[in-house]
Amino acid sequence: MPASSPRNLRSVRDINRRDILFSVARLPNSDTLIVGSSDNKVHELNAGQNNPPDRELADHGRYVTSVRLVGTRTVVSGGYDGRLIWWDRERGEVIRTVAAHTRWVRQLAVSPDGTKLASVADDMVCRIWNATTGERIRELRGHAARTPTNFGSMLYACVFSADGRKLATGDRVGRVIIWNVEDGRQLGAVDAPTLYTWDGVQRIRSIGGVRGLAFNPDGTQIAVGGVGQIGNVDALQGPSRVEVFNWARAERLFFFTGQQGIVNRLVWHPANEWLCAIGGGSNGLVMFHDPARRASIHQGNIPMHVHDVAFNEDHTRLYAVGHQKISVMDLRA
Amino acid sequence: MLRSLLRVMVVTCCSAAAARADDSAKDLLAGDRPIEQVVDHYVDAALKAANVRPAPQADDATIMRRLSLDLVGHIPALSETADFLAASATDKKVKLVDRLLAAPSFARHQAQEFFTFLQASDDPRRAARRTPLFEYLLAGFRENRGWDRMFRDMMLPDEKDKAMRGAGEFLKSRVRDTNRLTIDASVVFLGVNVSCAQCHDHPHVSAWTQDHFYGMKSFFARSFDSGGFVAERDFGFVKYIPNKGKEKVAPVMFLTGKALDVPGLKEPSKEERKKEQERLDQGKKKKTPPAPPQFSLRAKLVETALAPGENDFFARSIVNRVWHRLFGRGLVMPLDQMHIENQASHPQLLQWLARDLVAHKYDLKRLIRGLVLSNAYARGSRWESGDMPPEQLFAVSRLRALTPMQMAVSLKVATTDPMSLTADGKELDKRLEGIERSSEGRASLFTQPGDNFQVSVSEALLFTNNSNLQRELLEGGGTLVTRLKQEPDNARRSDLAVRTVLSRPARAEEIQAISDYLQRRGDRVEAACQQIVWALLTSAEFRFNH
Amino acid sequence: MRKRFCGSGEHVISRRGFLGTMAAGGVAACADMTAIQALAAPEISAELRRNQKRCILLWLAGGASQLETWDPKPGAVTGGPFQAIQTSVPGIHISELMPRMARRLKDTAIIRSLNTRNADHNSAAEMMMRGRPREAGLNYPDLGAVLSRELGQESSPVPDYVAFYFATEGRNMAPSNPGFLGARHGAMDLYTSMIPENIRRNGISEQDHIERADLRGTLSRGFERGRSSLTIDSHSHAYSRVRGLMSSEALFDIGREPQRIRDMYGPTLFGQQTLAARRLVEAGVPFVRVGRAWWDSHGHNFETHQEMVPELDQVMCTLLDDLEQRGLLESTLVITLAEFGRTPNINSQLGRDHFASAWSCSLSGCGIRGGSVYGRSDATGQRVADGEINAARLFATIYRALGINHRKNYHVGARPIPLTDPGTEPIREVLA
Repeated sequence: MPASSPRNLRSVRDINRRDILFSVARLPNSDTLIVGSSDNKVHELNAGQNNPPDRELADHGRYVTSVRLVGTRTVVSGGYDGRLIWWDRERGEVIRTVAAHTRWVRQLAVSPDGTKLASVADDMVCRIWNATTGERIRELRGHAARTPTNFGSMLYACVFSADGRKLATGDRVGRVIIWNVEDGRQLGAVDAPTLYTWDGVQRIRSIGGVRGLAFNPDGTQIAVGGVGQIGNVDALQGPSRVEVFNWARAERLFFFTGQQGIVNRLVWHPANEWLCAIGGGSNGLVMFHDPARRASIHQGNIPMHVHDVAFNEDHTRLYAVGHQKISVMDLRA
Repeated sequence: MLRSLLRVMVVTCCSAAAARADDSAKDLLAGDRPIEQVVDHYVDAALKAANVRPAPQADDATIMRRLSLDLVGHIPALSETADFLAASATDKKVKLVDRLLAAPSFARHQAQEFFTFLQASDDPRRAARRTPLFEYLLAGFRENRGWDRMFRDMMLPDEKDKAMRGAGEFLKSRVRDTNRLTIDASVVFLGVNVSCAQCHDHPHVSAWTQDHFYGMKSFFARSFDSGGFVAERDFGFVKYIPNKGKEKVAPVMFLTGKALDVPGLKEPSKEERKKEQERLDQGKKKKTPPAPPQFSLRAKLVETALAPGENDFFARSIVNRVWHRLFGRGLVMPLDQMHIENQASHPQLLQWLARDLVAHKYDLKRLIRGLVLSNAYARGSRWESGDMPPEQLFAVSRLRALTPMQMAVSLKVATTDPMSLTADGKELDKRLEGIERSSEGRASLFTQPGDNFQVSVSEALLFTNNSNLQRELLEGGGTLVTRLKQEPDNARRSDLAVRTVLSRPARAEEIQAISDYLQRRGDRVEAACQQIVWALLTSAEFRFNH
Repeated sequence: MRKRFCGSGEHVISRRGFLGTMAAGGVAACADMTAIQALAAPEISAELRRNQKRCILLWLAGGASQLETWDPKPGAVTGGPFQAIQTSVPGIHISELMPRMARRLKDTAIIRSLNTRNADHNSAAEMMMRGRPREAGLNYPDLGAVLSRELGQESSPVPDYVAFYFATEGRNMAPSNPGFLGARHGAMDLYTSMIPENIRRNGISEQDHIERADLRGTLSRGFERGRSSLTIDSHSHAYSRVRGLMSSEALFDIGREPQRIRDMYGPTLFGQQTLAARRLVEAGVPFVRVGRAWWDSHGHNFETHQEMVPELDQVMCTLLDDLEQRGLLESTLVITLAEFGRTPNINSQLGRDHFASAWSCSLSGCGIRGGSVYGRSDATGQRVADGEINAARLFATIYRALGINHRKNYHVGARPIPLTDPGTEPIREVLA
């Protein structure tokens, strides 16, 4: 009997905020969240309480787009200043600051064994760092800097596989590259062009991109999330969309769509029970999909546009962060 | 919104007084005189007073073309012109006018003209597309509905009646913006622009106050859009802050200054509000038009505008518009400034025509018939003896650029094989209606002419180089070009081309010029025929109603 | 020469430009001369440069964000993610998305205090193209038509008003409109092709094309005798300009530019059209509008601007450089303007919505005090804190920069219509 049951999804607590939260990391076995904010700072708070006190930590001077824990004490954050900041959350001290990218950092990922940190930014490079020492291990270059219509591209997402040996990165035009972490080789690439809308007729600009990435437990499949084709690129008026590929064969296995909005994060259950997609348009959306049966388990709403999500250890509780709100939800069986 | 409007009014409001003419009826010519005689009486009197001898009457071919364009919306077919020129009866013009007025295309053309002006759109490109309002107008002109009835239909549309749905368009497209509705309705039906902003240098018209604008606005203040229908409340009023003084409730007041005592000029009680909401919600639920209010201010406006003693604005305005259309200039200019400080060029004539129109139940067909039978209408458009006399004397016929529809249909009539357009009444009309229907797209290529209209370079380029237009008009079977090709003699070719396109016999020098042109292209007869037809179509003579 | 313009005495003087005087030698000679040839003669070129003013409007349709361009608010809750960067003028900062313009602000004045009170695309676009809100019963001409009238040459072989707008969104919201100035001052609109419609000869030989027009003229002249009016004159005038305009086709062909120049403008449509605009003003076209649509970023505002602002930065900076190198910048006014700006508040889709209460535009080149900023919005960009101006004052400033009397009247019938409402003053601080 699985511990989590998405059909039972229900709200536990909403915590209102004035800022926009782009990223969340959760301290193991606790309700303590580290969040990256539009007020340029990293905050720590206890989501187990109503109106929790807020502890202000690092300041990037710019939007903080990603926060990740290395072990339980060290937090790494990245933002629109192109820097990565390592800091000791217990002492509240900066350990080191690294000018990691020449453009805006979009996402960080920590390898499952906690030894490596990956960062992606709009300089279209993925860099792998020693998560402890901050030493740069290697650079992964392969995403085109310009879109086919000659505008600057963006590199939004990165994720490690469960065994830590593969890394996937996804860009604005829907390209996903699978890298061999050990030596930086490209192992494969898949394209999800539906997730990128270039409107060359009505509005002459684009919207979309690969926002969420998740490997399946054995690392043979990659799920890619974003928003489907949009008629009016003024807003996120397309179906939220997830495509799943066998990346070695560059073959799309299946896809599913949901309510209007964009999928910002994907989480694949370690026992393959579900694939969770979370994001939003004007409101928040969440989808749980059964990858084995290729059928929807549950699609529902979250009271705000969600940018990131963290789960607890047995995946019975989720902590969604986004537009002026944190939403804690239960999905116990 | 109100505030910004107020600011405009405070700074620049020009005033305009009621348009009531002082000319008392007893000085006017008798009411039983034929319209055309009355027109000439007053116009000739003014000419005499100015010591101007008018241009001579236009020749028969020109008159035929002018009448055809004005009454049925396109140039005459070759056979029609030929018949008219050949006829010798002294009353042949009257017969022609009556034939054209009776033709089905008369109703279509009037509907088109009124449709264009009711749209009152600043964007000429929008006017071309026909909507249900056109269908309403067409039905109206087919049965010669009075203009008062059409006004009532448009102000108080019965949206349950399918045939009347188009009448509601005027309100529906404006009801979300009460200021615009007030201004447009006043301009279109009453000939007065109550917005009056920007008149800083205009002579002041003492009798006009802010109450006149807000008074007119009050008539529309209770109308609103309710689920796609125009609904009206039993309550509601307009408040405004005058130039001097404190905020006040605007009186419900017509342009003549007549103020109405109406119920509901107070905040409704809770209960009244609830009752009213129920009435409106009922319709919304059933998606049917809401029930009318117990007391309709819009109905009051119609009643007042048409009431004896108050109806001058309404009657004079439509007379002026119809006159403007047929003479290229109004008796009052501009058309939306019919206030007392802006005298008509022929005040008594305007007054007589307005009185006549009211007396004959706003019969527009009768008015049009009278105007086109006058000598003033039938003058030549050329003036060669010195400086052109002032326009308002109507001493010489004014050139009028063809409207988009006149242009589009006439182009097709001019370039169709003339032998296929025979003058056999019903059959010909059927063919012409077909041409009209296929001309809407072509009409959108042209701009609706206003006063001081200018032909654009884009139009010249369109005619010069556009291959679609060339194909539509000059290529393929059944065209004038095919007919010309079959005619072996260059002189006869030239004459046929001129007669068909310009609706008159060719002059010797034209035959010479065109024949020479054809002569030099003996090796490419079809291209040469296309080119001469093109040269005629793009001549100023074709572009204008002259 | 027949008087076709009904303007006042000052107006007649203002149009006595070089081509105008040359045209007195004969309309035909002028019409058959290509503008390219006109430019090839150095003395003509120099004369043109001295005398003729012109204007390029980079129209940012849909509403570009002031916060991601000219008026960044880094650190404010409404500021968004981007940084402000120091420009070449000490103390002036603009968005980091515009590094090139930051380096060449010397010819540009930034206005940060527009409060235009209208955040509806249609009517706001009409207003910002005319300098005044719509008024019932008065079809007021847009900026291009006014400049065509004020700066155009009567018998110019080149068009007076060219407007590019390829996007379909917003195209019909505020189409180019000569209003009461009439079609003579209407735009040559380019919607789908870089070459104007109907400008190429089609299925007829050059010889026949010319002689056919001659026959047309012969037949038409017989009719025109004894009939004269603005309307009928415009007819013959329109046809007399056809051959000249056809010869200006080459001006639209950016393929004739060296690759180096084309690369500078970049490969995007906006870049190409702006390059065409430069070719046109260089040949004497007084007004070109390049519509760059569609900035209406209700969702993902920052990424939209991350995509579009660098393009604007490159194109605008290149245009100013290019004009300067050709000695044209001091006689060419370059405007960046939209119908409104975008809300400081960031909505749940990371978008910004319509906002007309405190937004920005820029004026560069002709008649402008470069390297300056006028007006100020408050700390979060919600309101104008200093130097509030409306559309009328902006237009008065534009007219003054181009040497046009903003108080002048047009006449519609007997009614005088001023270029800008009485009492409207240009912004002296941004005028050179």
